Amino acid sequence: MLLNPLTFHTPSTLDEAVRLYTTLDNSRLQAGGTFLLNSLKLLKRKGAKTPEHVISLNKIDGLKGASASNGELTIKAMTTISDLYSSPHLQGHLSVLRTVCKNISTNPIRNMATVGGNLTCRYTWTEMPAAMIGLGGRLHFRGRDGATQTLDAEEFFKNGAKTDKIFTHVTIASDPNASVAYCRVKKSPNVDIPLLSILIKTNFNRNTFAHTRVSVNNCVAFAQRDHKLEQFLDQSVCSPDIAQEALNHMDESIYETRSNDYKKHMFRVSIKSALRELMEKNR
Amino acid sequence: MITLNINHKNYQLGLKGNETLLEVLRDHLGLTGTKTACEESECGTCTVIVNGKAVLSCITLASGLTGDRIETIEGLADGENLHPVQQAFLDEGAVQCGFCIPGMIMSSKALLDTNPNPTQEEIEYALDGNLCRCAGYLKIFEAVRKTGREMKRAFAVSDKN
Repeated sequence: MLLNPLTFHTPSTLDEAVRLYTTLDNSRLQAGGTFLLNSLKLLKRKGAKTPEHVISLNKIDGLKGASASNGELTIKAMTTISDLYSSPHLQGHLSVLRTVCKNISTNPIRNMATVGGNLTCRYTWTEMPAAMIGLGGRLHFRGRDGATQTLDAEEFFKNGAKTDKIFTHVTIASDPNASVAYCRVKKSPNVDIPLLSILIKTNFNRNTFAHTRVSVNNCVAFAQRDHKLEQFLDQSVCSPDIAQEALNHMDESIYETRSNDYKKHMFRVSIKSALRELMEKNR
Repeated sequence: MITLNINHKNYQLGLKGNETLLEVLRDHLGLTGTKTACEESECGTCTVIVNGKAVLSCITLASGLTGDRIETIEGLADGENLHPVQQAFLDEGAVQCGFCIPGMIMSSKALLDTNPNPTQEEIEYALDGNLCRCAGYLKIFEAVRKTGREMKRAFAVSDKN
């Protein structure tokens, strides 16, 4: 057997899932299972302790799907990456999520993996955290006592993405005036292991950056915003030199963390490229 | 006991809960067409189709699939008549050692069932989870394209009639 003995639970409602999660000791939630199953196999091979209970969220219909209403996109936790990719609701600046989805792993994994798992798995190199931070996503949870909690994505990842609650959905306000650029670099052209990603969202006010969000994923720490660069950009008028000048206003502590010269160089290349793309869109 | 629907047939199984779908197919049901290789979602040899989508059976717990439609390589042929995808793989010489082929065929079928006229980019994207160590990709892609053309022709004929 590839896995240690466990009891597998398939609740059909969120209330039932919360009840199981609050009453069972040594349990793990399973979303798509693409991280969990390999993790359980590895733990078994190492002779480490594994969870006695796995609670699958896959049979809870109310946790699947994406929808748009009242100027807000809602993506439920168990929406697969491939279903989000083909969602007709990814319009305007939110279409960047289609690019994010396309970059994730391989086809069968995208058919299994979920937005919720990608956000809450606590692996630092996943794609969705930087995207949700950059887009101003708000994460919604159902607590052990049945209560709900809402956190800005930035706040959630600033606190190490820790939660004892069940993630239910993320909401993102639609912003018809927003422009978004997303840049992702792999470790090698042939092997799709992410090295870094940058998402920059701004609302151009005539020719000036405004309300800019620069979300950085350095893949070795949780995604975060570069507030220093945002401040610089929000005082800046679009010009041919601004992309180069912006590189002097990066919060180096974000980009220095466990980065070699190549990675630091690629951060600079990516930020320049993203800014040029944004200014091109603004023409 | 749980019931799994595999290749349009219901199987009653007494599972403990920690069995992967791959283990159930091969060890419990003797359906060894789905292959075991990396067992960690990297190679795609264990690809099957669940509810119309290609998934990896080595990281799928079988007990979670009650009510789902599971298709394996064994379910494609109709008696002696191979599925068009299988036939195309043979006709185009896409099979070398053969080990990756069941997974390749299942991914191809899942693609063609929803997109019978895929572009080269769409074929590569749909098969990006299936590795071939014999590097037989070119003929595999041609086999998928050929199947698409045959399916398009078959639809055109049936529309005409």
